[in-house]
Amino acid sequence: MTGRLALLALGALGLAVLVMEGGFAASLNIASQAYTPYRTCVLNGTPSTTTAAIDASVRQASATTNFGTVTTNDVASGSAANRRLYIRFDLTQCNPAIPTSAVVRLATLRMYVTVLPAVCRTTDIFRVTATWTEAAITWNNQPFGTAINNPASGTATDTYAAGTPAGCENLTVNSYVTGAVVTADVAAFVAGTATNFGWMLRDDVEGSATLRTQTYAAKNLGTASQAPQLVVTYVTVP
Amino acid sequence: MALHRPAALLAVALAGACIALAAVAFAASLTFDGRSLGMDNDTVPRCTTAGLGVVPNLSGTTVVSVAVSGLPSGCGGATLQVTVNNLVTSSGGSAAVPAGGGSVTVTLAAAVAIAAVEQVDLVLTGP
Repeated sequence: MTGRLALLALGALGLAVLVMEGGFAASLNIASQAYTPYRTCVLNGTPSTTTAAIDASVRQASATTNFGTVTTNDVASGSAANRRLYIRFDLTQCNPAIPTSAVVRLATLRMYVTVLPAVCRTTDIFRVTATWTEAAITWNNQPFGTAINNPASGTATDTYAAGTPAGCENLTVNSYVTGAVVTADVAAFVAGTATNFGWMLRDDVEGSATLRTQTYAAKNLGTASQAPQLVVTYVTVP
Repeated sequence: MALHRPAALLAVALAGACIALAAVAFAASLTFDGRSLGMDNDTVPRCTTAGLGVVPNLSGTTVVSVAVSGLPSGCGGATLQVTVNNLVTSSGGSAAVPAGGGSVTVTLAAAVAIAAVEQVDLVLTGP
């Protein structure tokens, strides 16, 4: 009889402790508060010698010349005077590394514009699908070829408008443009479903009768406050 | 076969001590990765899963504050903690998210030199 009572007491005590533990576990859940952790990797094109970013513009009017070391990059639309901007950020330099299982919440390309056209122009951002180098890329050997308005506008990752007229999305010179979102591309790079060859920016309608030029600070300018940036915000646990 | 009363009490006491120690051991091994809590899989409530805009604000060649945008109203009242790490030094700060959400600029306790690679950690606690 006494043994049964002892076993009963032991069982009751164990149950009580388990219940108590459950209570502790519930209370350890940040006191039932929301807890939202995000990580952000910021890749800057600074200093000018960094390998975290490479950029170059290609110019139709100087089709065999490399402009990988200039201090400004142009996106321009003009008669035989189109210019495109190639840029790539090395995501493998993020520290800590972005896990392949990470969920990319937002990736933004930030370019510092110093010259805007007098009309509002749409700028397309395309994911590059072939390799290129800062020191060798030219209009003639660029991954997307020399045909203007190629690739098609509808295949762009994103677009933004830039120009000085009131109401244009980006109308202020000497500032970073907004609206250049590349989340899907970066998510594919991180997951390994696409290779990171960077992006190409071009005017949505190349071949304008009137030259329309946007000028951006290049990595080689060496000015930290104007350096091109890629900002990737992600979570490791959805 | 029956246990004497003192022996039974001793057995209960020993059992209780063992369970208590085990509970402490379990508590020590509790992990905190946002999804699992000890041996239990628990969903941690979040005030948002939206993409938050993050812009490091510079003064010269140092990051002095971080602007975080895209905060939904569901995060209103939460505390936003920000840490900037340039792989050499780090600094942080915190600020309250306005009731309606929106944008928050968090001033760092100390400026962090801009570098090619920076890590910015954000933690929203609450509301």
